[in-house]
Amino acid sequence: MDLSRKIEAALFASLEPLTLADLARLEDGATEADVAAALAALRAEYATTGRAVDIVEVAGGVQLRTRPEFAPVLARLDTVPEPGRLSAAALETLAVIAYHQPISRAQIEAIRGVGCGAVLRTLLDRELITVVGRGDGVGRPSLYGTTTRFLEHFGFRSLDDLPPLEGFDAWASGDGGA
Amino acid sequence: MDGRDPFAVELEQFQGPLDLLLHLIRTQGIDIFDIPIARITEQFLRAVERLPPSALDRAGEFLEMAATLVRIKAQMLFPRPTPPDEEAGVDPRTALVERLVAYARIQAAARALADRHDAWAQRWPRGWREPRPRRAPPPVVATWAEVVAAAAKLVARRRPPLTYRPSARPVSVRARLRALWRALQRRPRWRFERLARHPHERRWVIATFLACLELAKRGRVRLRQLVPFGPLWVLRRRAPAPVVDHGPQPEDRSSFVREP
Repeated sequence: MDLSRKIEAALFASLEPLTLADLARLEDGATEADVAAALAALRAEYATTGRAVDIVEVAGGVQLRTRPEFAPVLARLDTVPEPGRLSAAALETLAVIAYHQPISRAQIEAIRGVGCGAVLRTLLDRELITVVGRGDGVGRPSLYGTTTRFLEHFGFRSLDDLPPLEGFDAWASGDGGA
Repeated sequence: MDGRDPFAVELEQFQGPLDLLLHLIRTQGIDIFDIPIARITEQFLRAVERLPPSALDRAGEFLEMAATLVRIKAQMLFPRPTPPDEEAGVDPRTALVERLVAYARIQAAARALADRHDAWAQRWPRGWREPRPRRAPPPVVATWAEVVAAAAKLVARRRPPLTYRPSARPVSVRARLRALWRALQRRPRWRFERLARHPHERRWVIATFLACLELAKRGRVRLRQLVPFGPLWVLRRRAPAPVVDHGPQPEDRSSFVREP
């Protein structure tokens, strides 16, 4: 059995992204370099044979994903899960946490200028954030951070992939103003 | 208020006071580093006035910002004499501008996240399922009658008011312990308030409570509270020997309760 085929099987069967180290365990004596080479071969094969799925790097591992051009097709089926939408408040809160983690609720609310209790609950429920520790302040407040699911959801390989906050032009208005 | 105010806005569409401020600044092409505070404050207050009474929750957030704006406006009209150790001429708007810039960056970052979400939502992974929301904790169900009854109980409990005596006569936890044990010999079940002797004096309550905990730790009593906020019961356990007083022990040195 070819290592590429084993990797293909593992990617198909796994619900989570798999790391190179995970995949190396599929074959005795396989190194991560072997895995990387096998993955490259698999990718090339998918590209040349016009497959509907592709191997993407996400959340510190690799994962099979459908190609974007199939999205309208898949939307016709009820059994394909609909990607959950996030409210503007949830996205904003998530951005605060992603860039300032670990961060307490009070600190998040200071940055946003509004209460965030319900939004935090939603993000926790959707496993996009989690409690990563306790702060030093009064009552040892929970500190929040993003999860692997967050990376997967937004297609980041790691938190280093987040575009630097300083790079955002604060005056590029979202409502087309400036 | 004229009906054709070009900056009339519905607060509902804003994430919060910072979002509203940014909107006012952007739509008027204002330089963030030189905000005309008087004008912006006026527009902000006009928007807040239109908040429906039902939006009390959110009103607080907007009112807090309104207060900040009014304070900055006042400081700009009447600059405080600069204390000698402070750098001269700190613009009272600085802190607010820094908050606005930081918030605007976060907004931009949130939009970038939304774009990524839209792009990656087009690419399905294997059989991934949106985690189901955990069930919310059951809401507290209470009739008005129950709420009123609870309030009445609270009021009754506060009377007579907690007396405060500046005298620092300490209450000994150990003495309370002995008194408690004697009382429990007479009767095996006591309501905590009856044991506290002066249930409206904090130090007596605290000392008695500590004594109860100590007895519970030694296995002499059980403490029971059948319903939340209900009466606390002190129940004697079937123990063969009475409490033996071991005399002063090092850790007993602090076991006096004084008024704070």
